[in-house]
Amino acid sequence: MEDDQILSVGIDLGTSTTQLILSRLTVKNFASAFSVPRINISKKEIIFQSDIIFTPLSSPTKIDAEAIKKFVTEQYKKANIDKQAIQMGAVIITGETARKENSSSVTEALSGYAGDFVVATAGPDLESIIAGKGAGTNIVAKRQRRSVVNIDVGGGTSNLGLFNDDGEVIDTACFDVGGRLIRISKENHQITYISPKVEQLIKSLKIDIRVGMRVTAEQLQPVVDVLTQILENSIGLGNRSPYFDLFITNHALHPEKKIDGVTFSGGVADCLNEELPRDEFRFGDIGLLLGQAVRHSAIFKEKTVYPSVETIRATVVGAGSHTTDVTGSTIAYTADILPIRNLPILKIAKSDESLAADALATSISEKINWYKVQNELSNVALALVGRRSPSFADIQRYAAGIVKGAQILLVKHEPLIVMVHEDMAKALGQSLFALLPSKYPFVCIDSVKVENGDYIDLGAPIANGEVLPVIVKTLVFG
Amino acid sequence: MNEPELKSMIQDILAEITDEQGKTVSSNSTDTNDVSDEVLSDISEIDLKKQFLVPNPHDKAGYLKIKSFTPARLGMWRTGTRYKTASILRFRADHAAAQDAVFSDVDPELPKKMGFLETQTTCESKDEYLTRPDRGRKFDDEMIKKIKDSVTSHPKIQMVVGDGLSSAAIEANIPDIIPAIQQGLKVYGLSFETKDVIFVKYARVGAEDHIGEITDADVVCMLVGERPGLVTAKSMSAYIAYKPTIGMAESKRTVVSNIHDGGLPAVEAGAYIAEMLDKMLRLKKSGIELKAAENAEK
Repeated sequence: MEDDQILSVGIDLGTSTTQLILSRLTVKNFASAFSVPRINISKKEIIFQSDIIFTPLSSPTKIDAEAIKKFVTEQYKKANIDKQAIQMGAVIITGETARKENSSSVTEALSGYAGDFVVATAGPDLESIIAGKGAGTNIVAKRQRRSVVNIDVGGGTSNLGLFNDDGEVIDTACFDVGGRLIRISKENHQITYISPKVEQLIKSLKIDIRVGMRVTAEQLQPVVDVLTQILENSIGLGNRSPYFDLFITNHALHPEKKIDGVTFSGGVADCLNEELPRDEFRFGDIGLLLGQAVRHSAIFKEKTVYPSVETIRATVVGAGSHTTDVTGSTIAYTADILPIRNLPILKIAKSDESLAADALATSISEKINWYKVQNELSNVALALVGRRSPSFADIQRYAAGIVKGAQILLVKHEPLIVMVHEDMAKALGQSLFALLPSKYPFVCIDSVKVENGDYIDLGAPIANGEVLPVIVKTLVFG
Repeated sequence: MNEPELKSMIQDILAEITDEQGKTVSSNSTDTNDVSDEVLSDISEIDLKKQFLVPNPHDKAGYLKIKSFTPARLGMWRTGTRYKTASILRFRADHAAAQDAVFSDVDPELPKKMGFLETQTTCESKDEYLTRPDRGRKFDDEMIKKIKDSVTSHPKIQMVVGDGLSSAAIEANIPDIIPAIQQGLKVYGLSFETKDVIFVKYARVGAEDHIGEITDADVVCMLVGERPGLVTAKSMSAYIAYKPTIGMAESKRTVVSNIHDGGLPAVEAGAYIAEMLDKMLRLKKSGIELKAAENAEK
């Protein structure tokens, strides 16, 4: 095949800022002429970076959807891109913005508005993974052969994504620590906003900081010190702060996992200065104070801090460039059912995979029933590990088990979606074809790693039908 | 000491010695009765990518990671003329497996069990096959007649299985790849029967050109054992050509190589070959011309 390109968009609606990037992914066949094609994304180029705007709110609890639509339209015009040309991408809503009342309706609407196949995503775990990939932490970890954690310190939250020495994400965490938890007027240094958790902290520290009062950096230092200590604690350093649990968003990292190095991203990553600048409230928040405190924290003394490739743009770059994967060449599918969005993954237990066809079928049909919501069955993607070098009999057994086990989906005429980790999808797909009713819609792809709890999107085929773009959305982690 | 005394002394000494020996012998024989039925472990079972013989490595995990990307014999600790015994034995075992793959014949039961038509090129022995490549590409008149009489003439797809340089490759891959290709072809409304598959002994790739002329097939697909190396002796390739003729350019062949359990699995290769056969029949081309036509299609 010839190289092909995918135009992908990433939109990040963060606690404080909203931004958009467009990137071009090049899909290339890495195999020699005498082998079966091995298709991968060879290049990820950012071709357009939007302005960074403050996330528009119509009220303290509501996102201004119209203003965001206008922003997207303007940026597409600026980039000279027709929205029809956008093939993949992700809208991610993060930090405190994800907690606004209309957050899910806004992202849903926006994902349709931003392009035909742009997915809406949310959740602190996914955000941590996306930010880490955008910051290039997975690459650093692989190159250095060390486990490296990315700490994305944004306006409202700090997202941690831990990558092992293969560059695979192994743990995530999120804390309500950020640069804009306290907002201060640039002109007169009056406090304009304090986040609810920081209010609690101030009360418990018995210090006098309120909305409306004028403050100095020294007065805010005790708060900044606690926030910094929580960040130290988050990667297992320093004495445990009594406020640690208070500031956990969803969960902390698993303490037994080794951490060798650290990267920083997010807006505060640009504020990691040795000295406080003269105008410390330049950004109207405590970002510069927090950045300087982190710079002098145990993190810099006890861990290797590696430079990241993106800071404030890490999440949006991650959403635009690192959410899409491709699977190709040894796959089988019927084209008219694509794209498919938001399918939950049903992973067959490894031990069940070696069962005889009938037993495998029973196990599959039992599990499909778990996905019944109010007695309504919706489609799922069946995921298997597969065999490294399967015999033809193995393939037949898998196919028979799957077709029989998925009977409840087949009677509803739901397309059959099968994903295998090992390289066997083409043979398995052809076996499914032989067993399924004539012209029954199905997709069978390999080399995609998924787990229970993940959701998957499959794009329309590219590269002359040889490649399918895939987005795996990990919503729950660990 | 007189002679008789000396004699008796020597006799005593000898008796003592033989006595002791007798004991040793007898204790030895109890040992031999105690033979363990343990079998020496098969050194070729060791995964070379995980074998690491450096005694005090600075970074074992790092070295093993490097090794995971290559079948090369890295981290064997000694090189040159001073390999460790384990390394030299393994090297010789792999070399022997490669030689066996070349010099042994395909299990005669295999083509029978699969129901293939059995044929042989003009070579009479392995030695002749190895020294006279030209004779491995042709059939004599009697064999031509056998082929003509036995298989369907002018088929869309003519399948051929040739021993080539590795009989082990054929034995390892054929039972899985043939049904995989057949099943794959169903997707495209194509088929072949196993009784029409021609098994060729002493086969060179060029034999498919002669078969193409004899059967007048649209596409000939030949599965053939590849020259074995030290990594695997079981690698097979498919050489596929649209209307091949004797003396045609090699560039007209499409090749799917590296079919073995550590490379492209046989069933997956079969699925891919089925799609390739359909493509050739549609575009009426193979090899470089097929690539060009495919690119023009886009």
